[in-house]
Amino acid sequence: MKEKKRNMENEKYAEKILNFKKIGAIIQKNFIVLTRDKTRLIPLLMFPLFMILVLGYTTGNIPKHIETGIVIQDNSALSQSIQQSIAQNQVFTIKRVVSTEDEGKRLLDEEVIKVLIEIPPDVGKNVAEGQQQGITIIVDESDSAIAQTSKQTITSIINQLSNQISAKKIQEYQKSVDASGNSLNKYINAIPNDYSKIYQDTKASAKAISKTKTVLDNTAQLYRLSLPQPILIALTTETITEYGSNQTSNKNGTVILKNSPGYNSLAAEISVLEKTSGILDIASNNLNSAVKTAGQDAVTDAYLNDNSYQKNVIDALSHIKMFSYVKANNLLKPLIVVDQSAYGNGLHAIDFLMPSLIALIIFQSAVMGMGRAVAGEKREGSLTRVFLTPTSNITIVVGTLLFYVLFELTKTILLILFSIILFHIHIEGSLLLIALILTIYVSVCAALGMIISSRVSTEQQFMAMAMLVSIPTIFLSGAFFPVQAMPKTLQSIAFFLPVTYAGEALRDVMVKNFSLGLTATPIFVLLVFFVVIVGGALITFKRDIE
Amino acid sequence: MKNIIEITNLSKIFGKFTAVDKINLTVREGEIFGFLGPNGAGKTTTISMLTTLIHPTSGTVNISGYDLLNDGVDIRNIIGVVPQTFALFPELTAQENLNYIGKLYGMSSSKIKERSKQLLKQVSLYTYKDRITGVFSGGMKQRLSLAASIMSSPKILFMDEPTTGLDPQSRIAMREITQKLNKQGITIIYTTHDMDEAEKICDRIVIMDKGKIIADGTSAELKKLMIPDKVLEVKTEKLEKETLAELKKMHSVTAVHEKDNGILNITVKKDEHIFYELTDFFKKRKLFLEELKYLEPSLEDVFVHLTKKDLRD
Repeated sequence: MKEKKRNMENEKYAEKILNFKKIGAIIQKNFIVLTRDKTRLIPLLMFPLFMILVLGYTTGNIPKHIETGIVIQDNSALSQSIQQSIAQNQVFTIKRVVSTEDEGKRLLDEEVIKVLIEIPPDVGKNVAEGQQQGITIIVDESDSAIAQTSKQTITSIINQLSNQISAKKIQEYQKSVDASGNSLNKYINAIPNDYSKIYQDTKASAKAISKTKTVLDNTAQLYRLSLPQPILIALTTETITEYGSNQTSNKNGTVILKNSPGYNSLAAEISVLEKTSGILDIASNNLNSAVKTAGQDAVTDAYLNDNSYQKNVIDALSHIKMFSYVKANNLLKPLIVVDQSAYGNGLHAIDFLMPSLIALIIFQSAVMGMGRAVAGEKREGSLTRVFLTPTSNITIVVGTLLFYVLFELTKTILLILFSIILFHIHIEGSLLLIALILTIYVSVCAALGMIISSRVSTEQQFMAMAMLVSIPTIFLSGAFFPVQAMPKTLQSIAFFLPVTYAGEALRDVMVKNFSLGLTATPIFVLLVFFVVIVGGALITFKRDIE
Repeated sequence: MKNIIEITNLSKIFGKFTAVDKINLTVREGEIFGFLGPNGAGKTTTISMLTTLIHPTSGTVNISGYDLLNDGVDIRNIIGVVPQTFALFPELTAQENLNYIGKLYGMSSSKIKERSKQLLKQVSLYTYKDRITGVFSGGMKQRLSLAASIMSSPKILFMDEPTTGLDPQSRIAMREITQKLNKQGITIIYTTHDMDEAEKICDRIVIMDKGKIIADGTSAELKKLMIPDKVLEVKTEKLEKETLAELKKMHSVTAVHEKDNGILNITVKKDEHIFYELTDFFKKRKLFLEELKYLEPSLEDVFVHLTKKDLRD
């Protein structure tokens, strides 16, 4: 009865700013509309998958089982273990093993193999003698994916072997230095009978230590020779001073030099070698002083009374101890790869590329998907009918956005699964953090699409407007071209694109396994975008249907 | 009868174009109010302003005691609009469309169920309620659109050319439903191109042209506006454009309205020897003149007379 009366009096329906029931109704409506509209749903779902398929294969797929030839010119154990390591890696498939370079090159010309790896003659003997040996890789540069991958892979294989050999050698040195130090221990506390034996033993220890030091010094010298030349950036005079330090000037003007890539890491290795050599230098100096004392006529006095021998030996022993703590691998580089690219840290290109690619595809997909959301419904008139109900703008915007954000997130999960299956990409970091980044980013993209969609009156106009934001995003996303290599003006455009930060944050988490704290900057920038763009979508959404 | 809509000096200017120019109008409670005018006259703009979809540039509107500018939500609560297009979701079924609109009004589920059942029966779509509306005929779509527009039981219903593009049967059905709703107490503002229709169902008619109201009254009152003129019906063969132009130039002719099958309605000044002049005109051009007679003016003639325009131009 009461119900009926209210009905007759024309029930009044209130307009709340944020009505969750109505938001639910909008989401439900959009869900039914989209799932029933197969001609729209299927392309919307297929678009990102198709894009990742095409872009993934054309830009960053890792080639596998590359036909490889090896030139082996000696019979040493090292040659065999190099060959074995190459054979075990799935990037290479060893097709031929030959014994001369000419033969290998012929196979390359005949396209029997795509990559030739050459192990130098007497590699085992030379490495054992402490020489550095180069493993040469010859590859057809016309296929950049193969060239890049095989160079990266061989570099990582050889580095690993080189580290193993280095570790083994250094450990040997540490053992022998230790042993020669320990042999003197007994002379510190006990009163010897035979002073000439002390003299002999001390001298032998000093010699052994200085021999090890020479190895390190030689290695450091070798590194110094291979330090890359700095790059000349600016020159304000006609004469350049001879290269001596990183930054140098002359009287006539200024020369600005910048370190070449790889300079810093090599310089760091040299410094470690020099420090280690310094430790040994002190030890051998101490022992040399002890030798001097032991060799004196008044040896008994020196030994017994002022303890200078013991002091020197104890000092030497403490430095020998320090040497034994030196990290053993990577100190020496018995093997290197000749013609290695700067990009050699063992991670696959696809892993670096994928975050940017995913960010780009989400952007395209989320922005384009909003065309129908407002502009389409405006054209069809159904949005006008919604405007006639007591439903606030915020409720309409939030309801519409929420549906598309959920839809796009579902698509993104599919997209990532798809790329894991297809391209074997590795996700290192926290899935929760990835989900957080994606949620913020997808909302930004959808809201951007919504702003465009609500400013135009047809889907055709929407497409034209959306191109304005999507073109710079495609080219400046970093998925195809490295942004760092672009002119400053283009880089500054990239600074204003959400895709830049989404790519960075995703790369930090997916590839580098950064925690929230480490990738806070790009996430913070994305949050700023979120506030500005979602806020913009709420404000710019007008009821006026002019 | 009391006024339910009072419009005072209402204007809408888009840039340099004045779409609606200081119009004054009243709509009485319970009437079917016919809103006529050629395309671009400013009808749709006026309706959009009255339904809170666009902001007026100036003027005041009072709808059932509410001010248009300040009480938008209250007004949306008491009005319904049948738009020109379907304006619902073709992917949804009839029932789902009504559910969605009901939810946006904030109606309870039980209320939606009860009201939609009643309305679907009223517009004869109850048996099709679970069909996807994309496959509906034009008439079915328009009837569902009407049902959606009155989900919230509005006091005033705006209908923007609801019968345009429908077959004769659907037109009649639509008209009958409209009249039924009116009998239930809903005030109806009815925009149309069809003069016969307006004459048949509207209690009062307003003609708008170039943003201004040029006539306001009942069908009979409007026809009286024609008194100084008379209308002749001429049955002849199909005329060339030039011949028509010459006919229009004759000094006693004020308007020529071309109908189907070579029938012309010629509005002429009173007390002229027009019969003689016209027969002479046709004779000179060796045109066959089958019939020539005085007519009672129709609303269409009034319209042509007032706007100097054919309604379907």
